[in-house]
Amino acid sequence: MKARTRYQGVRRLSLLTAATLLAVAGLPAKAVDTHQLEKKLDGASESCYLSGISDRVRCGVVKVPENPAKPDGKQIEVHYAVLPAIKPSFPNEAFLAIAGGPGQSAIDHADGFDRMFRKVRQTRDILLIDQRGTGRSNLLACDDGAINALAFNDESADTTAEAQKCLDAQSADVTQYGSLNAVNDIEAVRKAAGYQKLHVYGVSYGTRMAQLYLKLHPEQVATTILDGVVPMQQSVIAIGEAIDRAVALLLADCKANEACNSQFPTLEADLAAVHTQLAQAPVSNSVRHPLTGEAETFLLTRGKFAAVVRLALYSPTTRALLPFAIHEAARGNYQSILGLYGMTVGGLDMAAGMHNAVVCGEDMHRIDAAMKSRLEQSYYGSEMFTALNKACKVWNIPQVAADFADGVTTDKPVLLLSGNLDPATPPSWAELAMANMGNARHLVAPYSGHGIARESCAAGVIAEFVSEGSAKELDTGCIEKDIRRGFYLNASTVEPLPQKSDKQDAAKASE
Amino acid sequence: MKRIMTMFRKELLDAARDKRSVMAGLYYAIGTPLIMCGLFMVLINQLSSPDDLFIKIDNADKAKDLVHYLESKGVSHSDDATKVKDIRLVIGDEYPAQMAKGEAALVTLVADNSDDKLQKSIRRLEALLQQYSAEMGSLRLIARGVDPRVVQPLKVEVEDQATADSKGGMILGLAIFTMIYSVFISGMNLAIDTSAGERERNSLALLLSHPLSTRELVWSKILAVTSFALLGVILILIVSKFAYALVPWQQLGFAINLSPSFMLLMFLVAVPIALLAASLQLSVSFMAKTFKEAQSYLTIVLFVPLMLVMASTYQVAPDVLSWLPLSGQQQALMEVVKGKELPLAQLLVTSAATLAIALVLALVMERSLKSEKVVFGL
Repeated sequence: MKARTRYQGVRRLSLLTAATLLAVAGLPAKAVDTHQLEKKLDGASESCYLSGISDRVRCGVVKVPENPAKPDGKQIEVHYAVLPAIKPSFPNEAFLAIAGGPGQSAIDHADGFDRMFRKVRQTRDILLIDQRGTGRSNLLACDDGAINALAFNDESADTTAEAQKCLDAQSADVTQYGSLNAVNDIEAVRKAAGYQKLHVYGVSYGTRMAQLYLKLHPEQVATTILDGVVPMQQSVIAIGEAIDRAVALLLADCKANEACNSQFPTLEADLAAVHTQLAQAPVSNSVRHPLTGEAETFLLTRGKFAAVVRLALYSPTTRALLPFAIHEAARGNYQSILGLYGMTVGGLDMAAGMHNAVVCGEDMHRIDAAMKSRLEQSYYGSEMFTALNKACKVWNIPQVAADFADGVTTDKPVLLLSGNLDPATPPSWAELAMANMGNARHLVAPYSGHGIARESCAAGVIAEFVSEGSAKELDTGCIEKDIRRGFYLNASTVEPLPQKSDKQDAAKASE
Repeated sequence: MKRIMTMFRKELLDAARDKRSVMAGLYYAIGTPLIMCGLFMVLINQLSSPDDLFIKIDNADKAKDLVHYLESKGVSHSDDATKVKDIRLVIGDEYPAQMAKGEAALVTLVADNSDDKLQKSIRRLEALLQQYSAEMGSLRLIARGVDPRVVQPLKVEVEDQATADSKGGMILGLAIFTMIYSVFISGMNLAIDTSAGERERNSLALLLSHPLSTRELVWSKILAVTSFALLGVILILIVSKFAYALVPWQQLGFAINLSPSFMLLMFLVAVPIALLAASLQLSVSFMAKTFKEAQSYLTIVLFVPLMLVMASTYQVAPDVLSWLPLSGQQQALMEVVKGKELPLAQLLVTSAATLAIALVLALVMERSLKSEKVVFGL
């Protein structure tokens, strides 16, 4: 049977402020459309093609009960894909890559994983699973209908009503889409695909899944790689503080950079000024739509602006544009903010329903009074908490057991990776996660952001770790390398502008 | 039949006595896969771009960000002549000014594109420059409030029908070529020795004086040479199985795996070819007057099967080749290693043709051995 699964882009504007976004956002926007899946329902896999990978890969489906307590009840399909090893030297092992979000589809990001783990794939299969509620596996999406992303006023939106609308649209039992059930799905897929051991890579929220798998099925784990670590002990809603930290680091970086500082000497004040201005009233602009080129109204609220800044911090390329964009915005030119906003709207491909199902059941109740008052100090923290609190009241997902928050105690080899500039999972979180790990090593890339496996250096270290099976002897010199890039000094260049006073240069230029 | 077997045993015994020439015939089968794999290992290392590629970058301080980008991707400047590759990247003097105005900034890539060892590195550098350019372009558009997807009107998805095995087709074609060729090489010494050599030692006439038909004589010799040729095939198959597995093909993005079923097929295909090789080599040797002369003729005659197999390996020949002996079998085997269905009709027709030629040659030999001219080399 040949079925075409069409996956709609899951764009949810309210996610901009509300989502924990433990995901990897990048440039250019990921393609998220049609894939051809030839599927068989007995768990075996068949050859198929995935977007961005020219090779034939294998796709498969396992059927699992939606509610494990009712094994004969409703069954859902969990889709997986195997990028076969070039030279299958270890046919009983696979490298499982778990995507972030919560709510991202691993199979939709297959081309990215394929690029990152090319070296691993030379000898081992790469296994990708669309976690239940994401991608092709009983997607819990929230359709925001025909909202005009540019003119839409996110601050006047009724979060509670929207959360209710999204919940009403689900036909699934939304209480069954948490991480614990998803870990059992991994086990089901592992058995169906016929692997004995897994090397588990998790990025961002995926690190929670990787830790849970290590906790619950340690005998199946060969190695674990946690990239941008969310410790079990940590509620992801605390991410607000990490965002503030990353913004402060951006300001400090620009100050320390001679060219950036001389071009934008008042960057911190500029940022504060835009926040203050937008907090009083949103700014309305007549603009051309970034994609269609049609005349539109761009309503810039503080929420949208803050989201643009936050999301731009995820990728080193868009981060480089932020000082210029903030500087211009403070002077009333919102073109760059518009451009970045266009990217964030198009680039968010998360299943919002699945996101709620996870965060409301596993993180919301962990915010105690002390944490709450800390979050209220921060704009990002308080906005996110307020929005998620409203949504979770509607969704009403039962809390996970208290031992969910216990850290992982293990002697299995674990490699933890952090980027110092990370706007989501700061290096201190990884330290917390490895407290009870006997055979763990933490590497911090000083000039990287969220999810450092995208960089060739870390990808090489991971490949070495997987083949050695131990983190002790790894050659990690390149992690420290200064890969800092220049900031955009105008809308065109990152190189220091030629000095106008230097007559010799000016004369040369005019020749 | 019994007499043929007795003769056959006598021929093998004769051949086995001269251990050195037996081994010389089989050296090819053992050595070729080993030498080829050794060469490939060296070649793979030379062709692939090193993890850390060092080149010369002139005027680097005009494009600090570009240089940093290249460094983060493993391409950096070095003055150390021992490790730097002969590739130069020259940043234009106007680079910062052109960048600042949003114009295209000039960088010049100086390298010898015909140098095979550099090609991968040059392609890599070109690709990196292209990526950097695309990234800058996207950011420039974003800074102007335009979505970069606007300038990518086409999204091209490639669905490659190749498998990891078929991508190695060229290499496997070469491997099959060496295997078919081993059929001809392995039995050659014996073929000369048992015909021209036997005559030179004056034992041929003695043999013929026994109560034994020329047909029995010819076939026992053909069978002896054939079994040597097949022994060569078995050896080369076994050595290849292990040797090819040692080469890191995965670095080139494909795998080479000689499966047991392929090895069996190769052996079965080799049987008629070995009969052809034996009868061809024997009849040519009988025509020659001396051992040396036979050697010279055979070297020339070997060229014909060599060309046939070669032509189909490199696909320079017309379709008719797929229905000729040797090239047809070679192509059929290639289809199998590429994961396609075995072209049975093609294989049967060409194998039958191969056998037919072998039979004709045997008949010709049988008749010629009745002539005293041939027996005594007059």
